[in-house]
Amino acid sequence: MKRKTVLIGGAGSAALALLGSGCSGGGETGGPATLTFWHGYTEADGDVLQGIVDDFNASQSDITINTEVKTWASIDDTLLTALSAGEGPDIVAMPAERLPVYADKGAFAELDDFYNDESSNTANLLPGAVAMVEIESRKYAVPTGFVPLAVYYNTALFEAAGVTAFPATWDEWVATAKQLTVDEDGDGTPEQYGVVLPDHATVANGLWPSLFYGNGGDIVSEVVDAVIDSPENAATLEFWRSAIVDDKISPTGVDGVGADELFSAGKAAMTIGGPWMASIATENNIEYAIAPIPAGPVAQAASAIGVAMAVTVDADDNARAAAEKFFAFFLNDDNAAAWSLGSGWPPLRSDVPAEAVNSNPVVASLTEIADLGRPLLPGVVNSVDVLAAIDELTQRAVAGEDIAGLLAEAQETVQGALD
Amino acid sequence: MTTAPPTGRRYRPPAPLGGRRRADGPAGRGLKAAAFLAPALLILGAFTIWPMLSALRLSFTDASGFGEPEFIGLENYVQVFTDPDILNAVTNTALYTVLFTPIAVAAALALALLLNNPRLPFRGFFRTALFVPFVVSFSVAAFAWSYLVDPQVGLLNYWLRGLGIQLGNVLEDPHLAMPMVVLVAVWKLFGFYFVIFLAGLQDIPTSIYEAARMDGAGAWSRLRNVTLPLLSNTMAFVLIFAMIAALQAFDQIYVMTGGGPYGSTQTLVMEIYESGFRKLDIGFASALSYVLLAATLLLSLVQFVFFGRKEKDLA
Repeated sequence: MKRKTVLIGGAGSAALALLGSGCSGGGETGGPATLTFWHGYTEADGDVLQGIVDDFNASQSDITINTEVKTWASIDDTLLTALSAGEGPDIVAMPAERLPVYADKGAFAELDDFYNDESSNTANLLPGAVAMVEIESRKYAVPTGFVPLAVYYNTALFEAAGVTAFPATWDEWVATAKQLTVDEDGDGTPEQYGVVLPDHATVANGLWPSLFYGNGGDIVSEVVDAVIDSPENAATLEFWRSAIVDDKISPTGVDGVGADELFSAGKAAMTIGGPWMASIATENNIEYAIAPIPAGPVAQAASAIGVAMAVTVDADDNARAAAEKFFAFFLNDDNAAAWSLGSGWPPLRSDVPAEAVNSNPVVASLTEIADLGRPLLPGVVNSVDVLAAIDELTQRAVAGEDIAGLLAEAQETVQGALD
Repeated sequence: MTTAPPTGRRYRPPAPLGGRRRADGPAGRGLKAAAFLAPALLILGAFTIWPMLSALRLSFTDASGFGEPEFIGLENYVQVFTDPDILNAVTNTALYTVLFTPIAVAAALALALLLNNPRLPFRGFFRTALFVPFVVSFSVAAFAWSYLVDPQVGLLNYWLRGLGIQLGNVLEDPHLAMPMVVLVAVWKLFGFYFVIFLAGLQDIPTSIYEAARMDGAGAWSRLRNVTLPLLSNTMAFVLIFAMIAALQAFDQIYVMTGGGPYGSTQTLVMEIYESGFRKLDIGFASALSYVLLAATLLLSLVQFVFFGRKEKDLA
């Protein structure tokens, strides 16, 4: 998962965090501990995280945390072999949808006691963010990021097309996208698309789940039941297939990376993405604004992109207690705001006041819509097969295949993955 | 033949260069051989034999990489033969093998025949140029090809559009993605088979061609009755290598399509990777690896027997 951030005042806030870091929740340390922490924050967010880690190391003398920065994909590829060889990290951060796979196999320590400890600073964490780290009602990680997918739109193109207000409903969204779609030479292939809606491998796999939620549909219920084959989801697929194929508001056969490229090339007026789109737009000299995914006929909701950090089986009791102290430090009042500003993601705690993050306009915009976020497939262990089934469903639906048959097929696959 | 020395003393052969040789018994020679083989055997044992035996043991367990694996008998093997995803991967792997092997071998043979002609100018340059893709890393080649065929920024698409041909998004088209990843593998690997064929062709004595010419054999007849029969050993080697490469198809698929669109390029090795490293089902991935190994051995054996018979017929 790529992530770019807008960093305003992060360093200063991190320094403040040092002053306000008196509390230390979690377990008791039995002595000195040196911990390894793998994470994939490679941009400005990585610097802010390193600042928090440095502050933590300086705040006490028993625990030292050494960070190792890898790509998210590399963490996923090497964690299994590293842990099974006893050479793994003590703490690891990873995309939330991968957590249940590892937790179910016993790779992570359970953190229920930590969450129950008042000094852990977890009481005011966003419920959606906590839900994404729960597997069978047990918590296995601490969220480091939770943000709903949002629409990033090119304000210059909106202005040129005479669009003054961002659409609030699906119908308005399609109408606006049509207005922004330009086929100058009339060859049937627009040179500029109103929106880019990938039909597979979407950003954080969240676009189609977001659309399903909008019409009252879902994918999985209570972790054990597949509910993807529903009239609501069939209507959603029909609606968007018609908009994409008949109205040509979006190209077909595009994935999440392709969508980013089209938006940054100015060939699509709207895209669905995460906070990194802000810096991609800036790098490409695109004037942009952020808006929530418009409301569907039943609800306004967006699948959330989540990242969380867990304590691995390679950490002994002492290291685990030390890791919990770090988690409490990471979530304390000052760091909660500093991390939000530095990472460009909304605060993880609901009690962080809006004015604490107003200095970063991206964070401020995303914080306004944070309530719309729903964790993607929380607690589902075999997310690999479920996500592959959704990808196949949406790609084939947009390609024109029979939606009822595809939904029945997806239902069977998803249920098979859950059983 | 030597004659007895005039002195009547017992003949002693001269000491070999490098000093006197100690008389070694069979045990001494065995020890020496073992000492020479030891480094290679150690590497083979540590990095091939031991992991293979470990994987065999794990294939009968529910191993995930964490904790103590539990013995579950043949459950993983039963799943291999009943899981619809595996059936899809077997079908795709078979399709990949059927497409890749004949095309790569035929292209390599045709170019080897062409570039074996001593009258062809720039032979050395062409031979080198054809081998270059083999030296390039598979993943690098796959990335390069992904960009070449990209519908938005791809050079290939741009050129073809100039000719009025719309290639579309080949890597997202379920009918074109498999031929595309096969094409990349052919481009990448046929240079190796080409060099092997070239070596095989140069081993055929020119006198046989001269005799065939004197008997009135034309070019096609010489190819059919001289070249191909005398290349049968090389052909067997190349075919087996190409088939094994096809059965192990992974790199470019991982990079270019990730097994998609909708599983149309999901091969057995992709399935092994996904089961082992994405779903952390190491036991099942090990069982699947052993089934693939057995299939590879079986197919290689069939080819050995087929070409062995052909050679016998020739003799």
